Amino acid sequence: MLLEISDVQKRFGGLVALQGIDFSVEEGETLGIMGANGAGKTTLFSLIAGHAKPSQGKITLAGQQIDGMRPDQINALGIARTYQIVRPFRGLTVLENVAAGALYGSRQEKDMQRANDFAMEILSVVGLEGRTNDLAGNLTLAGFKRLELAKALATGPKILLLDEVMAGLTPNEVNEAIAIIETCKQKYSLTVIIIEHVMKALMRMCERIVVLHHGEMIAMGAPDKIAEDDAVIQAYLGAEK
Amino acid sequence: MKRLSLLAIIAAVLVLGSLAGFASEYMLGIGFTLFMYIALAQSWVILSGMTGYISLGHVVFFGSGAYVFVLLWGLVPVWLGVAISGLVVGIGALIIGYPVLRVRGPYFVILSFGLAELVKNLVLINDARLYKSLRPVFGAPPLEQLYLSMFILAVIATALTYWVRRSRFGAGLRSIREDEGAAETIGVLVARLKLFAFALSAIIPSMVGAIFIMRSGIFQPGDAFNPIVSFTMVTMAIIGGSDDAPGPFLGVAFLVILQELLWVNWPEVYMIILGALLIGFVLFMPTGIYGWLSERLARSRQNAS
Repeated sequence: MLLEISDVQKRFGGLVALQGIDFSVEEGETLGIMGANGAGKTTLFSLIAGHAKPSQGKITLAGQQIDGMRPDQINALGIARTYQIVRPFRGLTVLENVAAGALYGSRQEKDMQRANDFAMEILSVVGLEGRTNDLAGNLTLAGFKRLELAKALATGPKILLLDEVMAGLTPNEVNEAIAIIETCKQKYSLTVIIIEHVMKALMRMCERIVVLHHGEMIAMGAPDKIAEDDAVIQAYLGAEK
Repeated sequence: MKRLSLLAIIAAVLVLGSLAGFASEYMLGIGFTLFMYIALAQSWVILSGMTGYISLGHVVFFGSGAYVFVLLWGLVPVWLGVAISGLVVGIGALIIGYPVLRVRGPYFVILSFGLAELVKNLVLINDARLYKSLRPVFGAPPLEQLYLSMFILAVIATALTYWVRRSRFGAGLRSIREDEGAAETIGVLVARLKLFAFALSAIIPSMVGAIFIMRSGIFQPGDAFNPIVSFTMVTMAIIGGSDDAPGPFLGVAFLVILQELLWVNWPEVYMIILGALLIGFVLFMPTGIYGWLSERLARSRQNAS
């Protein structure tokens, strides 16, 4: 198992944000995470990426315990995340944004020219090659989402955590985004964990889906099983009387 | 084009350096001030321009360097004293930077200002305890040598900023400036990089302080830790542009000329104009003269193609 999350709990004071989270991710898999707002999806990403510490439980990457490490250390081990609310380096150019990822992260590229070359390659994969010298702050929302992805990819991850990279996009843009993610996955042999509200996207991309509800895992399995799962239907549509 | 500008830079360096041989005392004095502020503003840019941690107390390094130097005066050779000042203050910055850089945004600005005042008062208290209100520096090297050494510091500081801006180190610092959390997420060692930038931006100002004391001939804590030095540094860097080496250069040239014009005729309005300029630039030209120029240039090039 590449990534193992064992009986993780996260409390914020008296509020239990996550409880009894227990699943593992295989190398090369695409795992979806779904759940309503406030279900704890982003919190789970924060725990994996080191932005918060689990109150209980353990997270291991290829057998090495990573909970409690700093975000930059976890990134150096090969886990990269994107943010739901995008965080581009607005005052830098698009190229500089992505090159920064290549210079640090797990690639640790020492040579500026090579970092720029790699950043260019990634920008053409995500379709931003025409905007390399624009300030990142001038991109559109779809552009920001692609940049988020490019920055994470540039660090050279094994595992990519995608937090709603399709939210707010038009159906056309969603299709493009799915294609981009699939390409990246092949090209850089990635394992992907993806949080998404766009059900269609999850159904198409994922081998397995984990469903969170009020901080607990209520289901896990193949997309077609999840779609028929009673607990999931109840959580989403309310109980049938 | 690139080779041409490199040649121009080398020629300028040679001409300005050899001025020490024949220029008048007055000219050397102006040159001394000019290079002093170039060295200071460039150093400020390495920390504040690159990381966005705005230091409003950079005079703390200038003053501390001067103090270390004056304590060593007569004990070690002059230029060794200058080097030791740089080293001591650099190490001091590494130590003090660790807690100080945990504070961000406006709190860091206030803290940096407070730090300079704190160190000034520590020096005052210490000197009062030793019954030394003033520390004269007799027998300093002649102005030509001071001019030349200040010139060398300005060149080094400019080259350093130029290098940092294009290096991996600088890419990390600039990503911290834009979003520290996001920088950490892509693996930037934020704490270490900030600390290194802090120390790097302390060394040259402390050596500048040491040389400045030789020119003024006396060490007085009130002068050596004068907040106006900090404000001038910031103003110059912001007016010129604080994202690359040419910025402080332009800012210093602009302000030193302005100062020469105003200081002579209307010294009482100088600070008012300085303040008005700073506000104007922050509001309407936040990337400074250099940022504005290069934006212009890029746009006209785009239109041409």
